Amino acid sequence: MVEVDVRGFVCPVPLMRTKKALESDPGKVVVLASDGTAKTNVTYLLQDEGYAVTVTEDGDDYRIEGTK
Amino acid sequence: MGKKRVLGPSAWMLGATGLVIGVFAAFLVKQGNPGNMGLCIACFIRDITSFFGGEAMKMNAFAYVRPEIVGIMLGATVGAFAFREFKARGSSGAVYRFVLGFIFMVSALIFLGCPVRAWLRLGGGDLNAAVGIAGLVVGIAVGTVFLKRGYIVGRAKKLTKPAGLVMPVIAVVLLALALVTFYNGAAPAGFATVAKGAKKTAEGAVFTADKVIAPPGASMVDGAIVGADGEVVSPAESVSVAAGIPGGSRAPLYLALVGGLAIGLAAQRSRFCSVGGVRDAILIKRYDLLVGVAGLVIGVAVMNIVFGQFNLGFDGQPAAHTNFLGNFLPMILVGLTAVFMGGCPLRQVVMASEGDLDAVAAVLGMMVGAVASHALTLASTGAGPASGAWVAMGVMAVVTLGIGFLRTQKA
Repeated sequence: MVEVDVRGFVCPVPLMRTKKALESDPGKVVVLASDGTAKTNVTYLLQDEGYAVTVTEDGDDYRIEGTK
Repeated sequence: MGKKRVLGPSAWMLGATGLVIGVFAAFLVKQGNPGNMGLCIACFIRDITSFFGGEAMKMNAFAYVRPEIVGIMLGATVGAFAFREFKARGSSGAVYRFVLGFIFMVSALIFLGCPVRAWLRLGGGDLNAAVGIAGLVVGIAVGTVFLKRGYIVGRAKKLTKPAGLVMPVIAVVLLALALVTFYNGAAPAGFATVAKGAKKTAEGAVFTADKVIAPPGASMVDGAIVGADGEVVSPAESVSVAAGIPGGSRAPLYLALVGGLAIGLAAQRSRFCSVGGVRDAILIKRYDLLVGVAGLVIGVAVMNIVFGQFNLGFDGQPAAHTNFLGNFLPMILVGLTAVFMGGCPLRQVVMASEGDLDAVAAVLGMMVGAVASHALTLASTGAGPASGAWVAMGVMAVVTLGIGFLRTQKA
């Protein structure tokens, strides 16, 4: 499993870091994000890469889990 | 699933948002906004700032609280609250965002438009905008090089919720000022505004369709403007060719406000960005945001043709100049500062309305930049760039690159 923490970063940093994490083609990836834009964009990116995505709210943050 | 798509699921929503912006923009021009200026974040923030800056800052010709901007702010705030995305946040990067916002604004006013208006101008047939967009793409490309090397403007921390309400409160205050001015027919004491449809003669007389505003006591007699002392101030031939004052060109307040609300809400939900499309295409080979821009250009072009506002060419374009470098160079800075700020000015306004105090700093930087542009005569006119603009661009390029290197940390 790969974990990416992009809390507090504005676009496009969350997408860049997530994309980089996907280079090793992990079976499971967890992205921690703090704003709505990052949540939406990361979700779409993971779906495009073939992951099944679940998003849970963790306090004010989002935990985006992708599994293949 | 499993197969990579060129366009993600958000592409359609972004395209629809672009269409909404494009169609509204053409409609607002039809309803009285300046040509190819149904929406311009830079120009309209400048106009709002002029309401406060007035004559002292040489801004009184633009003074008008543009309801489009107020609507975008409120629409984005409503969207953020409704979908539980309103989050107060901020970082030390706010200082940089302020400076970048300032440089963005001064540069945009040399080109005569923000990226949103650049695309709208293109959809109106203004080929000078194509030159500007070429510069924009260069600026964005330079920005992506910094991003790849680890540029980060700041890492935001959570703040208590009331702190995030700065922009929404500013929006409500602006709305109140706009409504008071609208119903009183004049700006409250200490503020400036241009009367709707106001024109100015070569001799300096100001008038609207139904009255003479300046000089005081003057009146319209047989098409000429005659002073209180009976002397002719402006002869009829001068009155008939008088030019409109920019701040007086505007769509009805409520139409502009509703248009702004719709655009703000759609932009908040879709994350539409007029710079991010090119950035993402270069940086991560994703084209969804670009679909939004395509929707905008198609929407405004089609409606401009329908309304008879489409005019292909370089010359005679509204609120534009034809100086090649004066269009190309400032837009490099616009693209670069927008990437460094984390999105185009429309995004900054939307993020500020979602509780992002760094984005608020960027918007305030734009306002101060607007004051500097006019007080120091850096903004272009239809005749071309001001002489000071070239030096200003050189200095701003150095500062922008300096911020780029300063904020690039090895990953």
